[in-house]
Amino acid sequence: MWRDAALVAERDLRIELRSRVATNQVAPFAVLVLVLFAFALDPDRGVLERATPGLFWLVVLFSGLLAVSRSGSLDEADGTRDALRLSGLDPAGVFLGKVAALVVELLLIELLLVVGVAVLYGTALDGFALMAATCVAAAVAVAATGSLYGALVAGLRVRDTLLPVLLLPVLAPVLIGATRAFETSLGSIASADAEGWAWCGLVAFFAVVYLVAGALAYGALLEGS
Amino acid sequence: MTDKPASPSPGDANDAGDGAVPGDGPLHTGSPLTRVLGVLALAAVALWLLYGLVWSPPDVEMDDLVRVLYVHVPVAILMYVGSFLCTAASALWLWKRTPGWDALAVAGAELGALFCALTLLTGAIWGRPTWGTFWTWDARLTSTALLQVLLLGYLALRRVDPSPGGGSQRASILGLLLIPNSMIVHYSVDWWRSLHQPATITKLDPTIEGDMLVALMVGLVAGGLVFAWLLVHRFRLAWLEQRVDRYDLDAAVAARRAEGGVQGNPGNPGSSGNPGEPGVQPA
Amino acid sequence: MSGSILAMTDAGYVGAAWGGAFVLIGGYALVVVRRGRKLSRRVPPGERRWS
Repeated sequence: MWRDAALVAERDLRIELRSRVATNQVAPFAVLVLVLFAFALDPDRGVLERATPGLFWLVVLFSGLLAVSRSGSLDEADGTRDALRLSGLDPAGVFLGKVAALVVELLLIELLLVVGVAVLYGTALDGFALMAATCVAAAVAVAATGSLYGALVAGLRVRDTLLPVLLLPVLAPVLIGATRAFETSLGSIASADAEGWAWCGLVAFFAVVYLVAGALAYGALLEGS
Repeated sequence: MTDKPASPSPGDANDAGDGAVPGDGPLHTGSPLTRVLGVLALAAVALWLLYGLVWSPPDVEMDDLVRVLYVHVPVAILMYVGSFLCTAASALWLWKRTPGWDALAVAGAELGALFCALTLLTGAIWGRPTWGTFWTWDARLTSTALLQVLLLGYLALRRVDPSPGGGSQRASILGLLLIPNSMIVHYSVDWWRSLHQPATITKLDPTIEGDMLVALMVGLVAGGLVFAWLLVHRFRLAWLEQRVDRYDLDAAVAARRAEGGVQGNPGNPGSSGNPGEPGVQPA
Repeated sequence: MSGSILAMTDAGYVGAAWGGAFVLIGGYALVVVRRGRKLSRRVPPGERRWS
């Protein structure tokens, strides 16, 4: 299974390297939304600074939607889905491979956004350990959940409008947890470090749940589509 | 009438004279079962109205507003029943693969969505005079709102997938995740809101006794009976919807075949079942 | 808070809640039963009920 996962991850990432969708489209989108938030929330009034953790994770979620959609569409071209089914690759492996590729992309986007937020919103970065852990946990959570739900809507004509409706409510706990963890690490609210880590733990737990659920369900979804 | 609800009842309307598919069989989703349920439900609802609006006293703190709770509480419980039905039926479909479970899943989800909307509506109506606002971000309301979105998402997925087999597969996995998702959401939201809100916010569970307790209990029973009645009808409707898709498809295929056969066109490829045309076979 | 609310307004809210419930559930019941009748005619009699 792990070999199959590595195979699929490598394929997804190689396609990304060649087509550069994440770098040329999703990343600029992420930064663009950061800028739009500044237009909407008026940087002079301090709202932007207080809201930074939440805004950061909102942008990650929206960018994640795009990345997940893109990951799904990689398998829609030219009967790739059939090829995957017949190839004898372990479906759980295929799932984990796609998740791994998405995690890499999401981590890069998060890194970009951390820089963006420091520069554009003047956020004083602190609590790096908690921040990094949360970023990793959230990336895995979004990638795993997104890959599962992406497979749920794969091949449907309304895929692009249905995916956000299905995925975003499910990711609400990730948004809540990651934002609270960031609030603690960035010091925008006075709370004990332990609480921030507890929220990070929630996100990590969520990630594990969906890694398992996705690995179990992916085979059935691959067959059915 | 001695027939069971699971079989067509010959005594029912069986006229085929107005374009219906000919033959004996019920032309609606009713049956002795639903008639009995319906009568009981109506009686229980009448009792509910009486107890809820007339016979029970106003609350010490909430005055007459407590009467909203006689609707809100049963409706909220039924929302969970519907959602649970959806998840359980989805799991059973994944296990047994019989179409009845699929029909039950969609029926449960739709009823769950209806009662969830009612929960939010009655909750907001109760909240306006009590808190001065229709909405607050308290844990229960927020989780309920998210459950509503989850249910609507499930119903949306059901509606868009045209393929007869694959639709159930996707929907069943989504349905299976419905309750776990709502539990995780509920837990996260609860934890989050408990950080900011001291527990003064709700007197949502007043100490209930006497006639007020009776009103609530009657509400639960009446709500349950209404739910059951709706469930049977909706289940049968879902069953019909499955059959219609298949029947229409079969009919279309048969019509195509008939067209090919009747025309007797020698150049018509693939006209199977055309015994009188030996020269038609492709070389 | 509730002490400052007029009893009359209370009745309005209670009515809205009960009325809304009846309207929504009744309307839904109507839609389901009607659609059931419509679809029953399109399906062969043997297949109309769960078996």
